[in-house]
Amino acid sequence: MQYSSATLIDKYLRTRKIPSTACSGCGLGINHKVVVQAINELDLKVNDIIWGTSIGCAGRQTFATWQGDGFAGTHGRVYAIARGLRIALPPEKKIICTVGDGDAFGIGLMHLIHSARSNVDMTVIVNDNLGYQSTGGQFGFTTPQGAHTDSSPYGMFEHNLMSEGMDVMHILKGAGATFLARHVAMDGQRAVESVKRAILNPGFSLVHMPYPCPTNFASRELGSRNQVNIYRWIKERAKPLEEADENTVWATGVWHDATGSRPEFSEHVWGAVNKIRKTGAL
Amino acid sequence: MKRFLETGNFAITEGAILAGCRFFCGYPITPATELAEAMSKRLPQEGGVYLQAEDECAAMHVCIGASLGGMKAMTATSGPGYILYADPFGWALGCEMPLVVVNSGRVGPVSGITGAPGQGEFYLTRYPTQGGNFEAITLAPNSAQEAMAMVVEAFYLSERFRMPVTVLGDQLITDGFEDITVPENEDEMKEMGFRTWPRSFCAGPDFYPYSDSLDIPPVQMGSGAGGLCSDWTPTEQGYDIEEVEAHHKHAYRLIYKVRNHRDLFNHLYEKKYMDDDPDLVVVSYGTPSRVVNTAVDRARAEGMKVGALRLINLWPFPDEHFKRKTKYLSVELNWDGELVREVQRAAPKDSEVHFLGSCGDLPTIPDLLETFEKLLKNQPLERKGWTLEAW
Ligand code: SF4
Repeated sequence: MQYSSATLIDKYLRTRKIPSTACSGCGLGINHKVVVQAINELDLKVNDIIWGTSIGCAGRQTFATWQGDGFAGTHGRVYAIARGLRIALPPEKKIICTVGDGDAFGIGLMHLIHSARSNVDMTVIVNDNLGYQSTGGQFGFTTPQGAHTDSSPYGMFEHNLMSEGMDVMHILKGAGATFLARHVAMDGQRAVESVKRAILNPGFSLVHMPYPCPTNFASRELGSRNQVNIYRWIKERAKPLEEADENTVWATGVWHDATGSRPEFSEHVWGAVNKIRKTGAL
Repeated sequence: MKRFLETGNFAITEGAILAGCRFFCGYPITPATELAEAMSKRLPQEGGVYLQAEDECAAMHVCIGASLGGMKAMTATSGPGYILYADPFGWALGCEMPLVVVNSGRVGPVSGITGAPGQGEFYLTRYPTQGGNFEAITLAPNSAQEAMAMVVEAFYLSERFRMPVTVLGDQLITDGFEDITVPENEDEMKEMGFRTWPRSFCAGPDFYPYSDSLDIPPVQMGSGAGGLCSDWTPTEQGYDIEEVEAHHKHAYRLIYKVRNHRDLFNHLYEKKYMDDDPDLVVVSYGTPSRVVNTAVDRARAEGMKVGALRLINLWPFPDEHFKRKTKYLSVELNWDGELVREVQRAAPKDSEVHFLGSCGDLPTIPDLLETFEKLLKNQPLERKGWTLEAW
């Protein structure tokens, strides 16, 4: 099922913020559309969703794009805000947070882990532009090993969350997340299907979505801002989970689906509160 | 009304519940831990939620989230945690989100002594976050009973001003056992001078008017009407904008909604022997003021013309109490002198302003009396083994 951008914009987005101020050729718009398309395919309404964002390219470009309610948190903190908000909101309201890789896997990782631990019903879409691009192009914690950036002029040689057999998805799974998926921006409908499952999971869901940044990442690593090059570069390094080999950087698809395996945070907390209130004990 | 022999932590908990607080998120830290424990016990009984966060920064952000969803929320910490509130404090100030923050001061810097009272966050409560362009409200009780009243008042002010309000106590207030009276209904609350303000609801898209006006409901998420809140400079609808003029309007509101409504809290001070133009005015806040009050009573009995001025609202600083040209002595639970600098600034030009600090324990009455006497006789104050600025 494909929808024209114009249909989705009219239905869900604030025209004032579309098109965004993202650089031309930026892959963020594709990811953004994937999320809105998933919402549309689930037939959700504007007032069903509270949209959270963070900092950096991903946060800034997606803030206030949703026609309904939205908020932006400071560096890495949106997951903690969402946790408090979840307690105050009726359970049927959905929280979707579109954030960046630095926000989620760097400064906010501890808050993210504790949101997964609590199984807070929210869907986190990590739009990964392979580093810190809004500050000019420094490496991040999921920047592919060896990549050249402004702060890794010799190639990224630090241990990170996507190297030496390590994957940030394992950390989140261990922390208790109940739905995890990864898709690169060019995964199309496969990505939409995962985002739909993430939104429907009544618990903590995260979809990691690496996307091409022609302006900073590509110009440093590939020596060119030509978007064709960076799109191809990412595509060559991504493969569906079942086909992944040693050259795969991004194994895509559903990583972990434990929908319904653990009680959801706010339901769990309010259930306990109501019981204590009635009986004085748990 | 019910009477208890209980701690300030108990009093603060009951005060918060009376004010309508139904959400608390904190991180254990001495000497504020018992407050979190008391909340974890009491809130579920009242249909509220207690959560423990992974750190202080998260704790206040979680509270912000609950407030953003329409709940009255509170958090509590001590100095090393209060500094970690700097990040969420900015968010709550900028987004105009009501919240109450209790700080039980201990000796610093940094972790210092966990179980000894301190007053090292006087300025930190004025500048609790980065970036400037805001005004802060801080209330400083000096007893468990008053801590209860000030927490209720903090909720009242935080709702009307749409901002986080700090209650600055110290270890003696939160941990000390005292005789506490808890009102049991609204009439009794009124009788005790407690005022409350209900949470009201702004669905958006209007974020605020560019004015100093009060009683504007905070933005609340959940209706789908397009309410927006962010850490960026907002437009009137809450959009982020990078224009200096918009920021001027934003800063104007954050500063002057407080400064232009000081009448709401400038009655929060205590005067003793101040009607006959005393030759020495002893200024203090929090627990040192209790020793100061006793010492001033003794000094009067001995014929010294000394008065005491105890500040309860610390910020905005109550300059209006320092119009008289006389000698001032600031008594504080720190050695670097913090309140004294504001007294020096607020007092008439060429007033004599002196400082007596103590660190980790209260000043003694003989020490205070000796200091009063020397100041009244124009004798120099004896300095101990450390160097102080000559005030
Ligand atoms: S810097 Fe990169 S990620 Fe950011 S908007 Fe430009 S192209 Fe997109």
